[in-house]
Amino acid sequence: MQIDGKPSVLIVDDEEMVITSIRAFLRLDTDFSVHGFTDPVEAARFLEQKPVDVAIADYVMPRMNGIQFLARAKQVQPEATRILLTGYADKQSAIQAINELSLFQYLEKPWENAQLLLVIQNGIERAQLLRQLRDKIAELDAAHSSLKGVQTRLLKAFM
Amino acid sequence: MAHTEQTAEEELARLRAELEEANRKLAESYKLAALGRLIAGIAHEMTTPIGSLRSNNAVALRSLDTLDNVLAVCPAPEIGKAREIVEVLRSLAGVDKIACERIVSVIPGLKAFARVEEAELRRADLNEIVRASVALIQCNCRHRIVVETDLGELPEVECYPQSLHRVFLNVLINACQAIEGQGKITVRSRREGDWVRVSISDTGRGIAPEQASKIFSLGFTTKPVGVGTGLGLAMSKESVERHGGAIDFESTPGVGTTFHIRIPVTQRRTGEKAGV
Repeated sequence: MQIDGKPSVLIVDDEEMVITSIRAFLRLDTDFSVHGFTDPVEAARFLEQKPVDVAIADYVMPRMNGIQFLARAKQVQPEATRILLTGYADKQSAIQAINELSLFQYLEKPWENAQLLLVIQNGIERAQLLRQLRDKIAELDAAHSSLKGVQTRLLKAFM
Repeated sequence: MAHTEQTAEEELARLRAELEEANRKLAESYKLAALGRLIAGIAHEMTTPIGSLRSNNAVALRSLDTLDNVLAVCPAPEIGKAREIVEVLRSLAGVDKIACERIVSVIPGLKAFARVEEAELRRADLNEIVRASVALIQCNCRHRIVVETDLGELPEVECYPQSLHRVFLNVLINACQAIEGQGKITVRSRREGDWVRVSISDTGRGIAPEQASKIFSLGFTTKPVGVGTGLGLAMSKESVERHGGAIDFESTPGVGTTFHIRIPVTQRRTGEKAGV
């Protein structure tokens, strides 16, 4: 969802340096609004209040790991794209995350800016398409029920 | 009677030797596991800071270009000095970029080495494993040894990739240590029917003919204490044979040595695993 009309990206990593780096590069290369958190619990609270297009999480963090965080994100904002960015080369957790969270992408640190940007852009596009789809379905539902209403009235008029 | 006693004694000695060997292998596997955990920790600790550094470096380089473009059309007379500073910063950032890439290139090798325990066979690209091993060895010896790779097209090989990674690494380390001063290591890979062969040649001192038969024996080493354990090639042989493969070498003293490692493309199934 766009806050101030800009695509919105949330990053949670207990290492401030990762947030600073990614924020700096997105700021120069894009017009995305970036929300960085070193505490996953705080980041989860943010998600309950503000819609985002993409949520990027580190894996090993205190209080809540990246998979737990992204599971929470999925509950609160199912349309937001979920990305795990981890230095922990643990295939088991990656497979678990991809299966359970319908994770969009699993990226290993050290990341490459160009690749990360591509993944974020695709993630934003996906989130926005999903939201449009949801709105269209809602419109269709509304149109369907109003048709039903017309039909009922028509039937009543003729019977 | 004396004869039976002698046989029993021989049997005892043989069993004792077997036990000793088993103990040694066990101790070595503990050591490897501990080393693996240590390396995993180091690799993990490196990824975040180097990820940040590399990202920042890319941003700095691009920003300096942008800044320079702005300064180029700036009319102020002091701009010359500013552009000079940009130039210096750009050259520094260029060096940082190379430094970052060098650190980054080591990480896959460290991560691969760290996975000591490996239960399952996987299909893997042996060239990829060779490259990771070469990258590790190059940080150690790039100032004196040229490593050339000539990697042919290979089918995916069913194997325990980390175990083969350690084999290549062992042979490469030996090759480095065999070279005194400047030299060259050549790594070739080829498909040979249902087999894949990786050959590692060095221009080192070679293996003396009287040592050739002992080279794969556990505990045999010609290296000084603290450098060689006499375990590397013995364990490599075991790993290769576990794959149903073979490791051998040709050597000319004073000219160099080539180790050939042959691995079958598919693993023979035991009854239990049939149909997997």
